[in-house]
Amino acid sequence: MAGPEGDRLIYVDMTSETVSIEPFPEEWKLLGGRGLSAKILTADCDPNCDPLGPDNVLVLAPGVMSGTTAPTSGRISVGCKSPLTGGIKEANAGGNPGQHLMKLGYRAIVVKGAPSDPDRRYGLEVDGDGVRLTSADEYKGMWNYACCEKLLANYTKNASAITIGPAGELKLSGASVACTDQDQERRPARHAARGGVGAVMGSKCLKWVVVEPGKAKFRGAASSKDFNALNKDYSKQYLEGPQMFKTGTSSVVPVANMLNTFVYKNRTEGQSPDAENLDGARIVESFETRGGEMHNCMTGCIVSCSNVVHDAEGNYKTSALEFETLTLLGANCAVDSWEKVAELDRLCDEVGLDTIETGGAIAILMDSGGLEWGDATGAAALIKEIAEGTEIGKALGNGAVATGKHRGHARVPHAKGQAIPAWDPRPLKATGITYAAGPMGADHTAGLIVNPGLLDPTEQARASQDAQLVNAVCDSSGFCQFLQPSLDDIRGYYGLLYGDEISREQIADQGWEILQDEWAFNAAAGWKDEDNGMADCLVEEGIGPDNALKFDVSLETINLSKQRFDGHEELFTMKASG
Amino acid sequence: MPTVLVPTAYRGPTQGQSEIVVAGATVRACLEAVESQHPNFIRQVLDEAGNAHRFVKLFVNEEQIENNAVDTQVGENDRVEVLAAIAGG
Repeated sequence: MAGPEGDRLIYVDMTSETVSIEPFPEEWKLLGGRGLSAKILTADCDPNCDPLGPDNVLVLAPGVMSGTTAPTSGRISVGCKSPLTGGIKEANAGGNPGQHLMKLGYRAIVVKGAPSDPDRRYGLEVDGDGVRLTSADEYKGMWNYACCEKLLANYTKNASAITIGPAGELKLSGASVACTDQDQERRPARHAARGGVGAVMGSKCLKWVVVEPGKAKFRGAASSKDFNALNKDYSKQYLEGPQMFKTGTSSVVPVANMLNTFVYKNRTEGQSPDAENLDGARIVESFETRGGEMHNCMTGCIVSCSNVVHDAEGNYKTSALEFETLTLLGANCAVDSWEKVAELDRLCDEVGLDTIETGGAIAILMDSGGLEWGDATGAAALIKEIAEGTEIGKALGNGAVATGKHRGHARVPHAKGQAIPAWDPRPLKATGITYAAGPMGADHTAGLIVNPGLLDPTEQARASQDAQLVNAVCDSSGFCQFLQPSLDDIRGYYGLLYGDEISREQIADQGWEILQDEWAFNAAAGWKDEDNGMADCLVEEGIGPDNALKFDVSLETINLSKQRFDGHEELFTMKASG
Repeated sequence: MPTVLVPTAYRGPTQGQSEIVVAGATVRACLEAVESQHPNFIRQVLDEAGNAHRFVKLFVNEEQIENNAVDTQVGENDRVEVLAAIAGG
């Protein structure tokens, strides 16, 4: 039974086409996911490298708790230098590959180099017998669903896959990395989406990774009786609680609209007239007549926030249709119904694209007169052009900033080159600080604070820092942010996993060190604190009542979030949020 | 007097206040009392029919009440909590 001792790292050299397995360093045992990725990239990746060149390093790292029986703990991080932001990047996904890798005792896959022939494609097989790099030329150019169906037919029904679509193969900066979910069909519906991680995988000609867990057992804990008791108690508490996510993130639409963060028409407004038709409640209502359901994306998840969405004929269309997608590909593009967004979501999953970046890019095209507002049919055709690598397809596939340049359109809402998520920095200023100063740029999962009443600048900076630290630890742990574990929860689990008590100081220091590693990488890559900020349109133009909501946070306050505040009780009890 | 606990997402109208002590014999009366001090708060909680929005959960002393039970009685030291689902993703 795989456990903390005997864990290993997989190194794949795509230049020499070789694989080596190395022992996992004992001193990294409390690191997984984002924290492990940051540590590896800090050690092995030149911050000044070409993100699409052979010197970039791609890390696929499950969390510390992945592969155990802890609930909702199988998240996997994909890390690299981002071709979109030029800084360090971690994107996170559900599905089962993280669980399977850890059950086999593999803490990360580290991919370096690039093949001499960029037209070749490769796959990586991971199972109980070892790790093998194999030719995958026959999968070249395949869309994700067809690729997974063809690929997984060669393995048992328990295998899982990590793939890129045509966008990644074209090395487009909006490309995602897909993971298969745990349903029988094993659909590539869980995406590590942000920052162009799919482009980096594509630059290494790695089309897929298959993980065959075989009979690998759940990872053991040093204090297994107490660990199991904690699982039972933790799950019971969660399931007896309000379970706010059981109808999915898409149900947040009306709240977001009320808060002026359901952005409309390239973020020129904070509310959409189509909120009713884009509300996730409509998706849940559709289950009765069309089929579909709520489900969990990974083994052991107790949250079940993911929806399986069917079309009007009752056939599967897509999963999961999330709040961010309903905002960026829906309201932000004036697309007026969830059914139309479902079609666009499916296409993005097939081509392997970040729906946030793609929605931001399409809205800029619309704002510059290149497509009618609300033209979902036209948007669908353009996503197909991304897969084909046409001129406009490449611009869109490279994201919002690239599309703005292509169109000569100055109004591009971004931070650090990455399109702004649904959660808008103008009503949510502390979240804006995360976007402006955090190492991930415009990434709400790096530290989301939905508190429009937080007006004191110092408290805004502190709230952003707290959320960033907690989420960094959560994304290192493998726990899903929607389980909302606190630092106390996570250190309690770590303590029972390893039989060492982990103090509040240790867990807080871990979170801070992750942020420090990432900030240091970015500084070496050329990021400067005096540049921390937001696109002009978000600073100068207001939304909401009297158009009064602007991102009017000073540079001083933004950078205050990078000065470590003293610990306070709330840091350890607040929930991870994303 | 009862206390109304305001979720972070709804603290815009309350200027950041998270706990507001009000006079009120029912949940509705307490929410209306908050509204009188902090305009635009109650529309975040109740729909046009006067029930809690679908995406809101109400608790009295940590016991959830039905969304159409806004006229539930509250006692002198009771805590009325409003929860709203907020998640990204």
